[in-house]
Amino acid sequence: MDDVLLSVSDFVALTNQTLEYAYPSVAVVGEVAEYRVSQGKWVSFKLKDAGAIVNCFAGIYQMRTPLEDGMKVVVVAQPRVNPKWGSFTLSVRSVKPVGEGSIKKGFELLKAKLEAEGLFSPERKRELPRVPARVAVITSTESAAYADFTRIVNERWGGLSLEVAHTQVQGDPAADQIIRAIHYFNGLEELPEVLVVIRGGGSAEDLATFNDELLARAVAESRVPTLVGVGHEVDHTLADMVADVRAATPTHAAETLVPDKREVIRHARLQVRSAGHLLSQSIDQHARQVREQLEAIFRRIEERLGDTFERLGVLRVAIAQVNPDNVLRRGYALLRGEVGVGNIIELETIDKQVTAEVRDVREK
Amino acid sequence: MSEKNKTVQEKLSELSELVGWFQGAAFKLEEAVDRYQQAEKLAEEIEKDLSALKNDIKVVKRRFDKEAG
Repeated sequence: MDDVLLSVSDFVALTNQTLEYAYPSVAVVGEVAEYRVSQGKWVSFKLKDAGAIVNCFAGIYQMRTPLEDGMKVVVVAQPRVNPKWGSFTLSVRSVKPVGEGSIKKGFELLKAKLEAEGLFSPERKRELPRVPARVAVITSTESAAYADFTRIVNERWGGLSLEVAHTQVQGDPAADQIIRAIHYFNGLEELPEVLVVIRGGGSAEDLATFNDELLARAVAESRVPTLVGVGHEVDHTLADMVADVRAATPTHAAETLVPDKREVIRHARLQVRSAGHLLSQSIDQHARQVREQLEAIFRRIEERLGDTFERLGVLRVAIAQVNPDNVLRRGYALLRGEVGVGNIIELETIDKQVTAEVRDVREK
Repeated sequence: MSEKNKTVQEKLSELSELVGWFQGAAFKLEEAVDRYQQAEKLAEEIEKDLSALKNDIKVVKRRFDKEAG
């Protein structure tokens, strides 16, 4: 092409056209160096390995995980020459950490960032309704986790309306799909009462979707209270940390979402039994009160009778004391008639009736 | 559902309220037998409802692999 004279601009444009045609998108793995953020909007860093180094450039919104020098990442980008600076650059579309150390580092960096914003704070957590009627679920409907979740929900409770959004739950498109599903449910005229996000266990890379910054923010911003159950008990993702309620696993999410009807039935029976117990206790108490009252009445009657008999005894003694027979028994006699010489008088002793004539009357 | 106009949740609340009455100051022996029978009936209905109710699961037809048009 040395017979064609190109301007610098044309040359750079032609080069970029050729690059775009040959490499519309490349995935390059390397280590981050000289990571910088300018004006809070632009990110630049170098990607290097032992033999080469390349410039990378991105908008901050494309950074789904914070980076740090030394992290190993995969950059999906379009290679191009920057016409203004003449530098060869990877124009980054997405970047994600790879390898256990870098994934962990990215997780820790983002966790610290979200924590500093208060997104994990307990005050933000909303309670889920004890028994929701309308529930939204986001998961892969082809997964074993979804099958387990629905089986357990069906075993435990009935009458629920579950709307399920099928999305990928791993791989690059997964986070955006889940975010769209979250927005979909949050945009419904009649909001569901709970938004459940579930995924079964997997490798750290499989679960990386749930450590995506935008996904974590979408969960945190959901108008509908969220219940997130991802992976196994030991797996902690940023999505479940920002959720209103974290479930250890999808199975646990089902158990958290609805009560167990067998438990509810058992509890209802227990409640009735306790009411029955209170009722019979009350009947016993009333019967005891009536019995005690009757006993008190009898005691009072007995007391009154005792008093009366006592008073009667006293009266009888008093009456006995004034009985004339008692005087006669002591040897005295009762005299009837007018005492005068020559008069006939009647004398009564205890055992004799005497008629006598008065011969003499003297003053004592 | 045995009583179409009441949900299981409403019946559970009603049962709790009925049982609570037995423990409260408003308790009267004259009313207790009636209330106990109501509680028994409610518990039976709750059991029947819970055993009969099925969940309605629908998968959203919309796809999420691209922005909605």
